[in-house]
Amino acid sequence: MTALRVLAKDLRLHARDARFIATLSLFSLSLVLILSVAFGPFFRDPAREASATLWAALFFAGVLGLTRALDLESESGGGEALRLTGADPFAIYAGKTIANFLLMAVLFVLLLPCTSIFFDVGNLAVLPTVAGVAALALIGYAAWGTLFAALARGLKARELLLSILLFPTLIPLWIGAVKLTRSLWADGTIEPVRDWVKIMVVIDVLGLALAAWLYEVIQEAEE
Amino acid sequence: MSSTIPGWWSKGRAILWTVAVLLVAGSLYAAFARAPVEAQMGVVQKIVYIHVPSATVTLLAFGLTFAASIAFLATRAWMWDAVAASSCEVGMVFATIVLVSGPLWARSAWNTWWTWEPRLTTFLILWLLYGGYHVVRASIAGGAKRTVSAVLGVVLFVNLPIVWKSVEWWRGSLHPRAVTMTGEMRTVLTLSMLAWVVFFAAAFQERLRLEAMRKAAESGGAPEAPR
Repeated sequence: MTALRVLAKDLRLHARDARFIATLSLFSLSLVLILSVAFGPFFRDPAREASATLWAALFFAGVLGLTRALDLESESGGGEALRLTGADPFAIYAGKTIANFLLMAVLFVLLLPCTSIFFDVGNLAVLPTVAGVAALALIGYAAWGTLFAALARGLKARELLLSILLFPTLIPLWIGAVKLTRSLWADGTIEPVRDWVKIMVVIDVLGLALAAWLYEVIQEAEE
Repeated sequence: MSSTIPGWWSKGRAILWTVAVLLVAGSLYAAFARAPVEAQMGVVQKIVYIHVPSATVTLLAFGLTFAASIAFLATRAWMWDAVAASSCEVGMVFATIVLVSGPLWARSAWNTWWTWEPRLTTFLILWLLYGGYHVVRASIAGGAKRTVSAVLGVVLFVNLPIVWKSVEWWRGSLHPRAVTMTGEMRTVLTLSMLAWVVFFAAAFQERLRLEAMRKAAESGGAPEAPR
């Protein structure tokens, strides 16, 4: 229940801040545009270039979303109040992770058709599997991102520090998402790169397990 | 926590440095003057006597950071934080040596300075992450510094097994899973390993000593003995 309440609170915060969501969407679309111009106008391997663009734009833009909810909490003292309720730290983490996952999912829904159109790749037949790949990638991104965002809370230049830690950690997840999406768009199947599904699942589970162990310690450090 | 740095540490420090310098000098002499020149690569192969021990020491140092970080989270004793940070910092130096010596070898062996093969890529990620550890640690003031560093020391360790096993897990690795060497080459490599591990120990205790002095300066007292 606590996780759902935290989720509802974070989603409400995002919903009230429509200007930020609009800015984030424009920023991620700009990234797709810049990368498609860099690769184009004649694409050598459109499926590969499109999948790399899609996931690079999502991962870069996501960092801004990760810190936003924490910033809003810090400004209003909500984070401190949340800790004082004595709620289970992992439940708080879970609520925030699901909120970050949903925020990233919204960005994904926005960027996927734009990338498909700009690079002329993808079809409806592989869409469910692409969505499955996205779920795997975004669960890992949200799990690790929320953990690192909590670590970087209160630091100066936290977006930079978060990027320094988050991007290298998530490189295997990013490679997996790119390879699987490319395979789906180019060949219509993930069979040649199926091993990456296992790697992505391991990264997702590892992020959640480490958070279950360490999130309470991080909260204590903030007190 | 009130005792000063003990006398045995100062004496042992000099002995450790002497042994480390002698061993490193001996291993370099053995590598360049005693070990046979490899038939295909020639003298460039001798980089292996620095590259492989440095990589081993890097994993050892980051492994020590992981263990000390867990110990800190369990005990909250400042000494474990000092061990983790010191080991990580010295480990970064060795990781940098690996990243510099690797391309020198690669240029001769693979005809390229850099290639995106699994171990090179995962090791570069490892270097970036532990570089991030130091940047984040330096950015935090106050009591949260040690806890956040310890959490990072645990979380970042996840990458070590990936680096270690990358040549087995991913196809297309250019790094060999096992190296075939003559008896004399193997002896020199073992000596080099020993020499660089002892050198790491000497540099590590020096860095740890600095942490003890820093803590003493912060608390306004005499340097404390880590315990």
